[in-house]
Amino acid sequence: MLLSMENITKAYGPVKANTDIGFTLNKGEIHALVGENGAGKTTLMRILYGMEKPTSGTIRIRGVEQHFATPADAIKSGIGMVHQHFMLFPSFTVAENIVIGREPRSGMGFNRKAAIAEVEALSRQYGMPVDPRKKTSACSLGVQQRVEILKVLHQGADIIILDEPTGVLTPLEVKELLVAIKRLAAQGKSFIIISHKLQEIMDVADRITVLRDGRVTGVVEAKDTDVEQISRLMVGRDLVDMPRTAPEPGEAVLEVKSLTVPGDKGKPLVNEVSFGVRSGEIVGIAGISGNGQSELIGAISGLVDIGSGQVLLAGKDVTGTPVRKIRELGLAHIPEDRYQWGAAKDATVVENGVMGHARREQRYGMLRGRSIRSMVEDWVKRFEIKTGSLDTKAQFLSGGNLQKLIVARELAQGTPFLIAAEPTRGVDVGAMEIIHGELIKKRNEKGAILLVSSELTEILKLSDRILVINEGRIVGELSAEEATEERISLLMAGGKQA
Amino acid sequence: MEQFLDVSLFNSTLRMVTPILLAALGGAICSRVGLFNVGLEGLVLFGAFFAIVGNYITGNVWLAVAFAVLCVMLFSLIFAYLSIHLRANVIIVGISLNFLALGLTSFSLRAIFNVKGAYYDKNMQGLPAIDIPLIKDIPWLGDVLSGHSPLVYLAFLLIFVFQYFLFRTVSGFRLLAVGENPVAARSLGIKSKRIQYGAVLMCGVLCGLAGAQLSLGQVTMFTENMTAGRGFIALVATMLGQSNPLGVGASSLLFGFMDAVSIRLQGLSLPTHFTMMLPYVVTLVMMLFFKDKSYMQEARKANESSR
Amino acid sequence: MNSKLTQFAGALVQPIVAVLLALLIGALAIFLVGGSVMETYAEMWKGAFGSFYFVTNTLSRATPIILVGLGTALAFRAGFFNLGAEGQMILGGLCAAITALYVPGPGWYKLVLALISGIVAGGIWSAFAGWMDAKFRMNLLITTLLLNYIASLFAGYLVAYPLKDTTGSAAMAQTKMIDQSAWLPKLFQGMSLHAGFLIALAGAILLFLFMKYTVSGYETRMLGNNPLFAAYGGVQRGKLMFYSMLASGGFAGLAGAVEVLGTQYRYLDGSLSTPGYAWSGIMATLLAGSHPLGTAFAALLLAALQTGGMGVERNTEVPLEIASVIQATLILFVSAKLSYSFLKRRKARAQSGTIS
Repeated sequence: MLLSMENITKAYGPVKANTDIGFTLNKGEIHALVGENGAGKTTLMRILYGMEKPTSGTIRIRGVEQHFATPADAIKSGIGMVHQHFMLFPSFTVAENIVIGREPRSGMGFNRKAAIAEVEALSRQYGMPVDPRKKTSACSLGVQQRVEILKVLHQGADIIILDEPTGVLTPLEVKELLVAIKRLAAQGKSFIIISHKLQEIMDVADRITVLRDGRVTGVVEAKDTDVEQISRLMVGRDLVDMPRTAPEPGEAVLEVKSLTVPGDKGKPLVNEVSFGVRSGEIVGIAGISGNGQSELIGAISGLVDIGSGQVLLAGKDVTGTPVRKIRELGLAHIPEDRYQWGAAKDATVVENGVMGHARREQRYGMLRGRSIRSMVEDWVKRFEIKTGSLDTKAQFLSGGNLQKLIVARELAQGTPFLIAAEPTRGVDVGAMEIIHGELIKKRNEKGAILLVSSELTEILKLSDRILVINEGRIVGELSAEEATEERISLLMAGGKQA
Repeated sequence: MEQFLDVSLFNSTLRMVTPILLAALGGAICSRVGLFNVGLEGLVLFGAFFAIVGNYITGNVWLAVAFAVLCVMLFSLIFAYLSIHLRANVIIVGISLNFLALGLTSFSLRAIFNVKGAYYDKNMQGLPAIDIPLIKDIPWLGDVLSGHSPLVYLAFLLIFVFQYFLFRTVSGFRLLAVGENPVAARSLGIKSKRIQYGAVLMCGVLCGLAGAQLSLGQVTMFTENMTAGRGFIALVATMLGQSNPLGVGASSLLFGFMDAVSIRLQGLSLPTHFTMMLPYVVTLVMMLFFKDKSYMQEARKANESSR
Repeated sequence: MNSKLTQFAGALVQPIVAVLLALLIGALAIFLVGGSVMETYAEMWKGAFGSFYFVTNTLSRATPIILVGLGTALAFRAGFFNLGAEGQMILGGLCAAITALYVPGPGWYKLVLALISGIVAGGIWSAFAGWMDAKFRMNLLITTLLLNYIASLFAGYLVAYPLKDTTGSAAMAQTKMIDQSAWLPKLFQGMSLHAGFLIALAGAILLFLFMKYTVSGYETRMLGNNPLFAAYGGVQRGKLMFYSMLASGGFAGLAGAVEVLGTQYRYLDGSLSTPGYAWSGIMATLLAGSHPLGTAFAALLLAALQTGGMGVERNTEVPLEIASVIQATLILFVSAKLSYSFLKRRKARAQSGTIS
């Protein structure tokens, strides 16, 4: 046995992220670790990679007990990790990114020629083509993924941890990655893959360990199981389908007409996009992140400068209008990144809640403190937001609770139009159900919602109409009935509509 | 006009540029590891003061320079500890360091030398002027380039040393990595804190040399707040040079030239107020051409979701 | 409830610890120069608060520091490092002096106009830096610093040449004396404390109320907290930047005007920069974490240290600069958020301590 983790427990104060977890890995094995958000997968892997210390438990590699204080120790023991958010240096070349930490030297100097040669050799040996001289920021996400794996191989890793490796890849790139993983496993490398994409796991893994609430709920051979069994082990119950009524769309609330947002390098980030959202419907925008969704949202909400085209909100031209004005005309916005855009970490729950409401909740320029507090208090109850008090700083709220606060704030704006960008990113199942329920409620009350999400399941669950975006263009439109995961995936990858 | 642009103007440019250049290189190293060091002004002031103190104690100008460097390293360690270890706001730490420098040097001036405002001892030896053998005989160039204190030569040499260090050596490469993406660097087992400390200490060395040149290279005296904003101008030079040693060298030269011109103009019948204003005005105008990072980028970095 | 209490206690612990540490370092400095620590601190206390005269003296020194501090606090809260208080204060003082000297009319009319012109001059100088940042992305911290030198040299030129007082025998670079009718009234007979102090106190309270209870105050705070969040919520950064810099400089300009109209009665070159009012004001802001009332209090503390330092100078062998040492260490300790980080660290250790 190559690796065994025994009785691993990790507690953060009273909260246990991992409870008594056992995990093993054989040489040449591909072992998948699955579970919902917050099930403790990432924590377990951070422990293995020396980024966290377990509260109790032991790690053995080839039978020898290990104590990793830092990632450097783990790397020395032949463990490598490819993080969900790539750990690359965008302004460095591919070769520099791969050899960093083990640079070929000539004296004190960094021998870049040797580095390029090493990378070329490595890339040939494992059949993963890259251009070592290219700047990493100029590489596609699929290539960046390859660079990450090559980096880990260059470090001499035998055990490779992949954290959500396919989240940002196109279906074609996913296929290539899975092939590469199988080939490397055949060459003797061992893999631990964290994922919640069960179909991919079934394709590639030899064995699957399922976590729920920090505990192991099952270890199964891939060939003996199916997706349904794994889902049951993950969720612990059968998921209830959201009751959905047929949409009764009314008048167009948002109209976008050949909208273009210029990019830095000549290629527009949003390219001649036109669509509309009517009252009483949810329009989903599906796409791999980084294909112009952020800019599209920014352009509609007034945060990004528009190159050409038009945005109409409730019939009024709002192109180039300041954010405040657009919000007053009837836009609310759940932002895609809650820490960057959605909140101020050092401000309290109330202060975060009053953004966008301040201009309404005032008298002679003074904030109406009491009515604001009771409003926020109401959200805390309705959305079950766990917070010490209304004066707790936002940074002390968990991600899911902060997200609920933001969703509550934006729904309470009571606007006819809502942008919901990644509304459930990184929140637990309970919070997700609350948020989804509220979105559908708004739609049933004749609200118009533009849902932007990189989670296909979310798009399929909520949308009445689905637009697919690829490289800044809308490449297809599907109704809820005709949409399937396969058809959307194909369009997302830039394929033609079948 | 011919008389105005004469040899001694360029000669004094090289002298004036040295403290700015050294400090700016220090600032560049700091900003390469992601620390915007507003405390350059204070560190240089410390350097100037301790160079004089060292000279007073030891009577040897070289020991004085070494003493200054050592003391400034100590103070830069405070900057490093507060901003790297305690994660205090670097700008606020930098500003406070400037206060500390001003307060502590004027206090010590009274405590050690028992004078107010300025200390001057005509017996005190300044840095010697060194002639460069071959170059000094070249007619015009020799008069400009030769006959400076060793720190002047060192400063210009350091431009190239740092250029080589940052872009050609492994240590320099890792330093750049820490500045570009500290989280990624840490995940690779690169000791990013240690590298940051090293950079700040290096900055301390450079500021110590800058201060020594200021108080021992030109006049052999210390006056209260004698840096008079040079540290801040060095900061601008760092920014304009994009923290690239060659660029920093070029922008420092420009500011040193302005400094020299401003002193030269004082001989003319213009009110000195305007001539003294010149370096600051030119700095402002130069800033117009080099845009700062947008607040959006900075805010994005500060609020990254990976906490 | 509990968290509120600890929060409050935590907020208090930090400055107290910092003050104690700074006094400790000060004691060390006194000891090193061979003074008696107790005696020196006793003299310092007497120099600051020893008698009614000294108290009013301290308060009058605190006046411009409070005003500058408030202006800086406003800018810092909005996320702008305005370090240009000195230049803004100088131009405010200069314009106040010119207005009081050359505008015809009754005394109260001149006084009011002079105060307003001081505010406007400081405000415009500061807003200029804000405008350059918003328009050309020129780093505000640096431009405000550079503008200090330009303002003080420009003012120096004006009073050395065109506006120079040629009536007196002394060849000082200064304007003529302002007519007594336009002076800020003294609060007590024969004491230096003048009505400017009341203006400063009112300013502190108003700014506190503004920041806490008004919509604009809220938007300013959020802008400082996370500019992207503010932009997303519809706060207009450029506009707010212009206004907050205008107000920030306005406070500094008012500080200069008050000092000229209440103490100096003329603009004398260097009279506003040499005592370091502007930098003390910035220090006060840093000490108080940009809280308006806290800034006023910190300004009083700094003024007391400074007048106390003068007492020390008069009556002991220890030089008056001891005050600057204590001030500077104080700021350094506060900037580190010392107690807070220590507490946090200990907590973290307690949590992960069981394994190692």
